[in-house]
Amino acid sequence: MTRPDMELAALAVEEALAGGAGQADARVNRTLHQDLIVKNGQLGQAEAPEEFGLGVSVRKGDGFGFAAAPLGIGEEAATARVLVRRALDQAQALAAASAAPTELAPLEGVTAHYETPCEIDPFGVSLDDKVELLRRAEASMEGAEETVVRQATCGVRREEQWQASSEGARLHQVLVRSGGGISTTAAAHGQVQRRSYPAAFDGNHKTGGWEHLLAMDLEAHGPRVRDESVALCAADPCPSGPRTLVLGGSQLMLQIHESVGHPNELDRVFGHEVDLAGSSFARPDMRGDFRYGSELVDLVADSTIPGGLDTRGFDDECAPSRRFPVVEKGLFRGFHTSREWAARLGEVESGATARAEGWFHPPIIRITNLSLMPGTWTFEDLIADCEDGAVFADTVKMWSIDQRRLNFQFTCEIAYEIQGGRLGRLLRNPTYQGTTPEFWNACDAVCDADHWELWGVTNCGKGNPMQVAEMSHGAAPARFRNVNLLGAD
Amino acid sequence: MPLPSREETFAAVRRLIDASPATETEVAVESVAERFVRYADTGPTQSADRERQLVAIRARFRSEDGWCEGKATCDGLGEGPTSAALERAVALARGAPPDPELAPLEGAFEGMQELGREEIDAATADHPFEQKADWVRAALAACSAEWLQPAGLACTRASAQTLVNSAGRAVHDARTRASLSLTASAPDPEGGSGFADGIAARVEDLDAQDVIRRAVEKAVRNREPAPIEAGEHTVLLEPNAVSSILLFAAYQGFGAQAVHEEASFLCGRIGERLFPEELAIDDDAGNEVYPGAPFDGEGAPRRRVELLRDGALTGPVTDGDWARKLGCANTGHARPKPNTQGPKPLNLVVHAGGESLEELVGGIDRGLLVTQFHYTNMIDPKDLLLTGMTRNGTFRIEGGEVVGAVRNLRFTESLVNALRNVRGIGREREVAGALFDGEVVSPALRIDGFRFTSTTDF
Repeated sequence: MTRPDMELAALAVEEALAGGAGQADARVNRTLHQDLIVKNGQLGQAEAPEEFGLGVSVRKGDGFGFAAAPLGIGEEAATARVLVRRALDQAQALAAASAAPTELAPLEGVTAHYETPCEIDPFGVSLDDKVELLRRAEASMEGAEETVVRQATCGVRREEQWQASSEGARLHQVLVRSGGGISTTAAAHGQVQRRSYPAAFDGNHKTGGWEHLLAMDLEAHGPRVRDESVALCAADPCPSGPRTLVLGGSQLMLQIHESVGHPNELDRVFGHEVDLAGSSFARPDMRGDFRYGSELVDLVADSTIPGGLDTRGFDDECAPSRRFPVVEKGLFRGFHTSREWAARLGEVESGATARAEGWFHPPIIRITNLSLMPGTWTFEDLIADCEDGAVFADTVKMWSIDQRRLNFQFTCEIAYEIQGGRLGRLLRNPTYQGTTPEFWNACDAVCDADHWELWGVTNCGKGNPMQVAEMSHGAAPARFRNVNLLGAD
Repeated sequence: MPLPSREETFAAVRRLIDASPATETEVAVESVAERFVRYADTGPTQSADRERQLVAIRARFRSEDGWCEGKATCDGLGEGPTSAALERAVALARGAPPDPELAPLEGAFEGMQELGREEIDAATADHPFEQKADWVRAALAACSAEWLQPAGLACTRASAQTLVNSAGRAVHDARTRASLSLTASAPDPEGGSGFADGIAARVEDLDAQDVIRRAVEKAVRNREPAPIEAGEHTVLLEPNAVSSILLFAAYQGFGAQAVHEEASFLCGRIGERLFPEELAIDDDAGNEVYPGAPFDGEGAPRRRVELLRDGALTGPVTDGDWARKLGCANTGHARPKPNTQGPKPLNLVVHAGGESLEELVGGIDRGLLVTQFHYTNMIDPKDLLLTGMTRNGTFRIEGGEVVGAVRNLRFTESLVNALRNVRGIGREREVAGALFDGEVVSPALRIDGFRFTSTTDF
């Protein structure tokens, strides 16, 4: 544990308590990234951002205050004292407008260290090796005159955080994540179509090291991705009307995120996020007997799962990571909570899902790693079991969902019509629309653990001002009956 | 926190550039001091008094085969973080393969010294939490009187942008922003809600009471919304609804790279008279309603660009690289470099028409008044086919009058079609944002034949 940064966090907490705070948390956060993009034969972007700063949260009387500033400019102790004073002043000024006291779920402060296991330190891999991997991946997509964009990306991050709390927590965490992907866009026949591997929007990312990039074997998938993007430009549009829909894992992860993860955030449920991100159809009294999905639907939140982008030792309120059911055999079980929102529900402990984007933001409830548990089908058997005219679709292209997380409309990159128990003609712009509980209740088959993969989300926005968080969703292909497809073309 | 002055920032940045071993070095600094309060039925729920200074260093080496470039960022202009960032940028640049398409950095330009502002509005920069607490109390009281639940954001910020490069370019600009938003919701989630916000460059131009009044009035009118059928409707979009669809033309379409990559709705349409002559759209950082930063991500002056005039789309916006590639003028719309997404307009302005909102309503026999869209997203870039949901107040218009609230609907519509079908333009303009990034200045727009594809029960 690097003592000066821990001592700084502890100093901020002690100063806050001395200034009259009833509760305080302080986080020193230093995050280093390296992001590379090879596009159309050139290294289009090579960036190495670093963020380093201190954020202090205090509760004084009925008021909350948070102050934050960068570190690394000297006189850190003085900076911490100034931030504490500003947070306390803020809490005092705002307490006058408080309409209800805030309770926090109890938490025992511990001293602990957590570090992401890595086989290959991604910051130990040379720039040459990274660029070479991307150049080969990008070059593997050459060869079609319809191609207008070929892109290979990788991003690695090391986040180190020192946390102290007035409950006595002294935590040091080092979180490392690595990922990347390829994509290509073709333009022909009046169409522009993109294909990506292993997932859309910069690929897939996991906590861990460079071994994740090597395992993807990007170069091997380039020709297929290129050919699919070209073929999609000449493909038939996806038909409209109710059909059986099989979703691949890299699309199903978005379905989980938008229609289970977000409505499950308890601050939304009580209307505290309605001003920007929206609210939720879920209510506390639904726990236990509301049928969220069919009996095959088991969804588990887990901030301890290996490889998850929100896999860590503790959340940003110093609560230890945990695993809990959200939907069990189709029945709704529980919400994502923080200390404040667990207390509001009368629960004895936080769900450990309070997180902030770096040092600059105060923590809010975020979706953690949330996964659909595997079923029993092989993919081949599942497709063979589908009637003619069913559709298999995969990979996120577009998503939109209402403010209560009920009415959604999603478009995938690619689809195939199923004929004779096999994947048949290619379909472009597959778009489906539905309502959350009806959709999950229409699930009648989930593929087994051999087809299950953890998919990372690196761009989840919430809060106001908005902050970005990362999490993963595990999924295997699954089948949904009577889904409304739209020929959105 | 006082923002660092132009000269302080220039001096610190020039020391960095002098210390750089690179052939060319560019340093961009964004300083922000912000105070915000989020609030809901329990009063203030979250707040912050925070500052940051994001320093971005771009280092470039010249080789026979082109420029090798790397970039690193850090928090603050302190010697430790900036030296380390310069080292990282230089290491990336030394390891990067040469790019023959990159050109040397551009230097000073005429009028550079006069570009940008130094002074900021102190009343906005120093706006205290006590006054934000007053806004929160007023919002809670107004909502309580109508049995509504409040949620919103009160925010003031001061910011400064600086860009200096080794070729002699040095620009700086400082500004302030104040905003207040309120969503007032019925306790029953199916009972309707109302939204209003205000955004101004100076806090004295923000009428908090008016924002609160408008949101509450809208929520009261939106009680017990009635079912409605999907299908084509004439719509009157208030500015907050216009912004969340028009911004997609900025995200994807009005930039030169999107046109070059054949992923823009401009492709094949430039110069064709497809749109009503009354509809005029510019990108104009110097607009009088809500001016933006006067220079772009390369420090070049942002030019006013006419994007839609006399019924036709004109050319895209450019940056230095795309102006050179296409052999046309640099309009000053670079994003911070390096960037693989190309130039983008940040200050879309729809010209005002001649009718008040009431007059626009009065001209509609059957239609819908839409307050806001939620979670708009793009299905297809060539026609800007979009989908999204109405929220916070959708009302039926009959016989030229607003006659009642309706439940929310999902639209699936092409922005190109929507703009072709504009049949009325409001007189009053507002600054309006969206769920994703960005703001536009727009009046209300009447659009005929707007396609809704599904409905909700709330």
